Amino acid sequence: MSAAGDNQSPRYLDAHLHLLDRQVLDVHGVPVAVVDDLELSEIPAGEEIPPDTPPPVITALLSGPTLATRIFGGRPPESRMLRTPWVAIREIGVVIKLSVGRDTQDLFWTERWVRDHVIGRIPGGRHAPKGEQADSNDRGGS
Amino acid sequence: MIITELLGARVYGPDFLGFVSDVRFRFDTESIGQPARLHGIMVSPHARSSSLGFERSGVRSPWPIAALVHWRHRGSFLARWGDIERIDVKRIQLRQGFERGSPELP
Repeated sequence: MSAAGDNQSPRYLDAHLHLLDRQVLDVHGVPVAVVDDLELSEIPAGEEIPPDTPPPVITALLSGPTLATRIFGGRPPESRMLRTPWVAIREIGVVIKLSVGRDTQDLFWTERWVRDHVIGRIPGGRHAPKGEQADSNDRGGS
Repeated sequence: MIITELLGARVYGPDFLGFVSDVRFRFDTESIGQPARLHGIMVSPHARSSSLGFERSGVRSPWPIAALVHWRHRGSFLARWGDIERIDVKRIQLRQGFERGSPELP
């Protein structure tokens, strides 16, 4: 699924093979997360599925602290898994590219909170160092 | 439901058939924004782990790994969504007369 590939033939993807553990990049190419799980639309669990039931669809990519659960088993609580809506996906390939920036993602609320409440209160923490500012100005002007 | 609840689940017809080694999704076209619909589950009689795509893509090298993976996933098949009768916790029941589809990616 990509902007380039626009033909009308169906395409198939396997979750393990093409989606899980793939790097997710935002619209600027900045790494955002790794796909740890996929959220599906509702499946009637524990009851018979009528033959004409439409198939479930992927609603979101899930990322979260799965290292320990992969080693020791189990899975992290649902509240710890962070969602990237499926509609935000622009391209699926070696990496998964999003059509939105990382600041719009819930994934980075911890990073934003630390920036605003901890780093921002350190003297000098609310602006880039002078040397880097000058460098970026030089690069922008050349 | 999340996908890891399906992966590794035990699959039964009338009898035990194997484990879900992967889940296949279908896009109707390659256009952006298509919903990814569940097409079916890959059932492997002997292994829960992923087969790294060897048996689905015709890749034959490096041959020692390909041979090992083919052997571990011998008898794998695709059970389509329409053939799934019930999904319980780590257990999937297929309908009577289900079809064994080819595991190869189209």
